[in-house]
Amino acid sequence: MTTTLVVAGFVGAYILIATERIHRVAAALGGAAFMVLLGVVDAETAFFSEETGVDWNVIFLLLGMMIIVSVLKQTGVFDFVAIWAAKRARGRPFAIMVLLVVITAVASAALDNVTTVLLIAPVTLLVCERLGVPPVPFLIAEALASNIGGTATLIGDPPNIIIASRADLSFNDFLVNLAPIVVVLMVVFIGLCRVLFRSAFRYDEDRVAAVMALDEREVIRDKGLLVRSLIVLAAVMAAFVGHSALHLEPSVVALLGAGTLVAVAGLEPPQFLEEVEWPTLVFFMGLFVMVGALVEVGVIEDLGEKVTEAVGDNYFLAASVLLWGSAVLSAIVDNIPYVATMTPLVQNLVDGGGGAPQANALWWALALGADLGGNATAVGASANVVILGIAARNGHPISFWQFTKYGIVVAAVTIALAWPYLYLRYYAFSG
Amino acid sequence: MRARDLAQNVPTVSLDTDAMEAARLLSHERLPGLVVLSTEGRPYTVLPGSQVLRFIIPRYVQDDPPLARVYDEKASDELCAKLTGSTVRDMLPDHPDIDEIPVVDEDATLIEVAAVMARMHSPIVAVVGGDEVVGAITVRRLLDHLLPTT
Repeated sequence: MTTTLVVAGFVGAYILIATERIHRVAAALGGAAFMVLLGVVDAETAFFSEETGVDWNVIFLLLGMMIIVSVLKQTGVFDFVAIWAAKRARGRPFAIMVLLVVITAVASAALDNVTTVLLIAPVTLLVCERLGVPPVPFLIAEALASNIGGTATLIGDPPNIIIASRADLSFNDFLVNLAPIVVVLMVVFIGLCRVLFRSAFRYDEDRVAAVMALDEREVIRDKGLLVRSLIVLAAVMAAFVGHSALHLEPSVVALLGAGTLVAVAGLEPPQFLEEVEWPTLVFFMGLFVMVGALVEVGVIEDLGEKVTEAVGDNYFLAASVLLWGSAVLSAIVDNIPYVATMTPLVQNLVDGGGGAPQANALWWALALGADLGGNATAVGASANVVILGIAARNGHPISFWQFTKYGIVVAAVTIALAWPYLYLRYYAFSG
Repeated sequence: MRARDLAQNVPTVSLDTDAMEAARLLSHERLPGLVVLSTEGRPYTVLPGSQVLRFIIPRYVQDDPPLARVYDEKASDELCAKLTGSTVRDMLPDHPDIDEIPVVDEDATLIEVAAVMARMHSPIVAVVGGDEVVGAITVRRLLDHLLPTT
């Protein structure tokens, strides 16, 4: 009876999150409270259990990166780089789009994709307005690029952070397994941009002069802060790469980086906490408690056993279903709750493989499916929602279908390319 | 002293008044805001000068203030061109709170006037007698009367 109620409560909260009938934070907290009322969750299981509790590594990694981004925002470095790129492109719209999507993808991999689009969108609007070209194609391209670029690293996309923590995967594991295909996907994506957004590339010499007149050096008000911030960021990146050797969790690296940056930046709390999305952090906590309840009553274990039985030794079939299934589901619902629910299930499958690389590759199928599938619709990933909000506030509303008609093409092409990558890298030559 | 004693005859605008004309009124008459009248001639809301600036300055610059520094003189002039072809209606916030508007009765005391200004963050209030607008009080005029003489 309790198990049925837990599943019903979970599904109910999930429907509320997916349909946005109430705010997702309220839905996740309500679901978590329901699990507590059922007696499935208590303080011990919610706060201190690694299997069923709030994953504090995820929460503090996100918090640390949000603080780092808050400080970086104060330096104006994103505005500087974007204006510099527009001038380097000599005002040619397609060249500008290429540089902006590359900057977005790289920054998304190094920071995180949601805050990256928040930082790059305002300067994109400025450049487009100066250039006299419609900003919507540029904003959509940046949202899509942020989801592709963010796939490359542990910190690039929230689903990856959850997968890394639950699967005990390192920063380098993500870099080695996902970054190569992400580079290929970005090259293909740039080609797609040329075709999909061709009507936006209008060249007007007079307008180009207006772009060339922008002085990017003006946005850097405190050079000392910029230098200090970049040094700390470089150290954080180095620590991420070497975190296994340093015996530091990525969350600890992010918190150390954030603490150091706050200490050297000399900013006030409202400034270095500006980009901290408290609702997102609370949403994650509620979600972890809800999923933990499913684990606690044995639903995940039972489901895992059935799936493991069905998969048998055919891990490529499992990876294919996981890749395409995750892509489709992530297009419909936010990929964060989806991945939080799927990780214990995939953990069962991977454990069943006894450490075989074919079984471990299921994690990459999940990450690629969830991250790239988020591009398919306007609500598939947080970065898309953020871009839609910024565009609407600036008088350039993007409808659900306007985004989706581009996103679905990009998602389908990138997933279709990720599929043979998984096969060739993990299954074709495994005997 | 009552509101009617302090009220001045100030120009008012309607929702369909040209935005450039309204901005010029603010500038030439040295007003902190304009009383906007409905089609029935009753106070609809107040258009403060800061709201005109909010309309002129792109939202992305308001979100990312360092971007304001990259504009040159020519680009700054172009920003004001946005007023041409727009109306007062376009300059008002998307969802103006018209349930509560900065209006006082002509019998209101000066402290009542000050309280309305403070509560609604409005630099100007319309003074009405019955259904008629008898004038407006600016924050500067109110302070002139409230502050002790030195």
